[in-house]
Amino acid sequence: MTTTNVPVQPRTSIGKFLVQGGTTIALLALIVFFFAMRPDVFLTFTNVRNILFQVSILAIVAGAQTLVMVVGDFDLSLAATSSLSGSAVASLMLGGMPMAPAILIGLVVGLLIGIGNGLLVAYLNLSAFVATLATMTSVIGLAYLVTQGTTLFNLPDGFNALGQGRLLNVPLPVYIAIAIAVVLWAVLRFTTTGRKWYAIGGNVEVSRLSGINVRRGRLMAFAAAGLISAVAGILLAARLGSGSAVQGSDNLLFSVAAVFLGMTVIKSGQANLVGTMVGVAIIGVMSNGLNILGVNSYVQQVVTGLIIIAAVTLSGLKTRER
Amino acid sequence: MSTTSPAPTTTAVPAFEAHDIVKHFDGVHALSGAHLSVREGEIHALLGENGAGKSTMVKVLTGIYAPDGGRILRNGEEVTFANVRVANRAGIVALYQELSIIPSISVAENIMLGERTPSRGGLVQWAALRSRAKEQLDRLNQKIPLKMLAGDLSPVQQTMVAFARALANDARVLILDEPTASLTDTEIKDLFTVLRSLRAQGVAIVYVSHRLEEVFELCDRLTIMRNGETMLTKDVADSNIDEVISTMVGRAAGDLYPDRGTATSTVALSVTGLDGRKVKDVTFTAHKGEVLGIGGLAGSGRSELLRILAGAQKHTAGTIAVGDVALPSSPGVARALDAGIALVPEERRSQGVILSASIRDNIALANIGAVSSAGLVSGGRISDITKRGMSDLQVKARSSRQPVGELSGGNQQKVVLAKMLARNPKVLLMDEPTRGIDVGTKAEIYRLIRALAATGTTVIAVSSELPELIGMSDRILIMHEGQISGEAMSAEADEEMLLAYCYGKTA
Repeated sequence: MTTTNVPVQPRTSIGKFLVQGGTTIALLALIVFFFAMRPDVFLTFTNVRNILFQVSILAIVAGAQTLVMVVGDFDLSLAATSSLSGSAVASLMLGGMPMAPAILIGLVVGLLIGIGNGLLVAYLNLSAFVATLATMTSVIGLAYLVTQGTTLFNLPDGFNALGQGRLLNVPLPVYIAIAIAVVLWAVLRFTTTGRKWYAIGGNVEVSRLSGINVRRGRLMAFAAAGLISAVAGILLAARLGSGSAVQGSDNLLFSVAAVFLGMTVIKSGQANLVGTMVGVAIIGVMSNGLNILGVNSYVQQVVTGLIIIAAVTLSGLKTRER
Repeated sequence: MSTTSPAPTTTAVPAFEAHDIVKHFDGVHALSGAHLSVREGEIHALLGENGAGKSTMVKVLTGIYAPDGGRILRNGEEVTFANVRVANRAGIVALYQELSIIPSISVAENIMLGERTPSRGGLVQWAALRSRAKEQLDRLNQKIPLKMLAGDLSPVQQTMVAFARALANDARVLILDEPTASLTDTEIKDLFTVLRSLRAQGVAIVYVSHRLEEVFELCDRLTIMRNGETMLTKDVADSNIDEVISTMVGRAAGDLYPDRGTATSTVALSVTGLDGRKVKDVTFTAHKGEVLGIGGLAGSGRSELLRILAGAQKHTAGTIAVGDVALPSSPGVARALDAGIALVPEERRSQGVILSASIRDNIALANIGAVSSAGLVSGGRISDITKRGMSDLQVKARSSRQPVGELSGGNQQKVVLAKMLARNPKVLLMDEPTRGIDVGTKAEIYRLIRALAATGTTVIAVSSELPELIGMSDRILIMHEGQISGEAMSAEADEEMLLAYCYGKTA
């Protein structure tokens, strides 16, 4: 390679941007650690596939959460929305409705809840915390109503195949999660909507005075997040072959955690899709690795919390140095 | 001009000194050999262009930054301030441009903030708290209701509350960063009276300001910084404005204001019977190529008028037309921009730029339509308008990807301008275009305004500084209680007459 003295224009390439943060290094360290502990199991094709399969739903919910957090809000109701959508689809199909319209209705349910959140936050000026806490409560109630408090089984095979089927020996939800992540990344990075979202998250007043419709932007972010979490809920129902009001409820906290971890990946500390996926990977690798080592799942939860504190503290130290 | 009373210099050892201060960030020197020496009972001006290192110096002096070299002495003894609290305990307190008051709590609580709250059994002893807060206000000779929320006070009262807090914390060295930036002329007079009484009480005051007239009226000595170095320290009485400016800029001071005479008679903007919250029945026209100055006391409705014109606030009656095209009744910012009206807002840091975002992202913000097609943003087109904007306005930055928050105030203002100029506005509204900007950059902004006018743009600029208003404008409107109380051609205007209009005396 010939050397040139032309100064390289600093660009935020994905590679450089991953290396900047200790969070990515933490992910690599976790992988090395678990590989060293169980070289016979951890990095085998089957196990990696397992990890990907396990995190695929979380990745989708966390992607949705990223959108809302980019505009500077957050949404506590996403996991509940996904449960309701999954339950609704299950219930409709058990009632005899064909798969396609049932799924469509499930998606519309998610979209409507998202729009509702957006209206409350952007147009009625409720704080995102209060508004989405309230919708979360109601949405969980609706999910119990839809499932009548039970778990709905015996879903059609065609539907279950969405969550359990494989292509080239890799489960379908993995492809869907990757596709959604890529689309969201591109939306945030290349579309006017995405850039407006980042601007709103940066400073509402500046954005408004620059001619950006701040209310519409926030509404759209919530609506998109609701729709995407519906996709996650429907996939989860297909994967489990069942619908219930509580399935996937872990995804609420883990999705917020993944976005927070992701915010530590880049220097500016904004929510970003690539970072979120690193966060999802950390959570997935942790839980899988600890499982392999035979660590109790409650302990896993404790450790996950500690990891988040450690990552956020470290990145805080980094910014304070300046 | 020399109303300066001699400083009562009784102590031989300066109250507070800094020698050979060096500070660098990422290898770039922000300070290299900066000195400052302040005596008890003096008001000492710290001057320099933006980027000269004044803010960094202040931060080093108050323990926010640790210096990479040099010595700091308090009453002749060497000290190190690990953080702001340690500096405060040594009696060094800085008050910043963005006033350090908490709007949501009462005046008394604000004043006693750094102190132990008087309490019994965990319950606040309000009477004791208020009486101690009142003592501090009395020292400043201020009557401010102690139970009022600090956020409801006027800017000058907020400044006074911040002073009172510093006094409550036993401040002996007070560092003031642009304390008059948001004050009107009468309020400034009140502030000066207070500062003089503090000086008489032996407080050492470091006064950072871009308003040289104030320095010559108020200060005893001055220190000028340039490129991170101290260039000179001397008695104000032995110096003059020309010397100060040429030392700050490093060259002889040119004329601050460019020539006028670009105005035409074509009407570019006509406003009829405009009503808003404060604005009442405002009617005026502005012409192509004209720089129209708008003055008035704070709260007279001048900023609101600009916000209404820019679509950022609704109006309840009246019409706005750009050329022959009338705007809809509540256009919103996006429509106003499309119609050719752009606003450079008053509060740069909270309204003009996203500090954490890069220059290019900030410029793209107001031009999303122009840099995208079919909903996709083109990085190439953002680079184009950014490059053009940065070179037209001579923005000094490492690269277009540098966060705006890292730039000096003048350069931040240029980014706001670049962002709006990329829209090719027919009417450019500017609220306090040079607030918090150094003299050198001020001259640049004035030249820019005039250059824009020369290309046919109408510039409407609100300013609290009467000399600026007269110097940069072709014509001046003065507002009083929401209405236009006077109009004058700049060539024939003088400060006295404009001030009379400001107080509502009509011609």
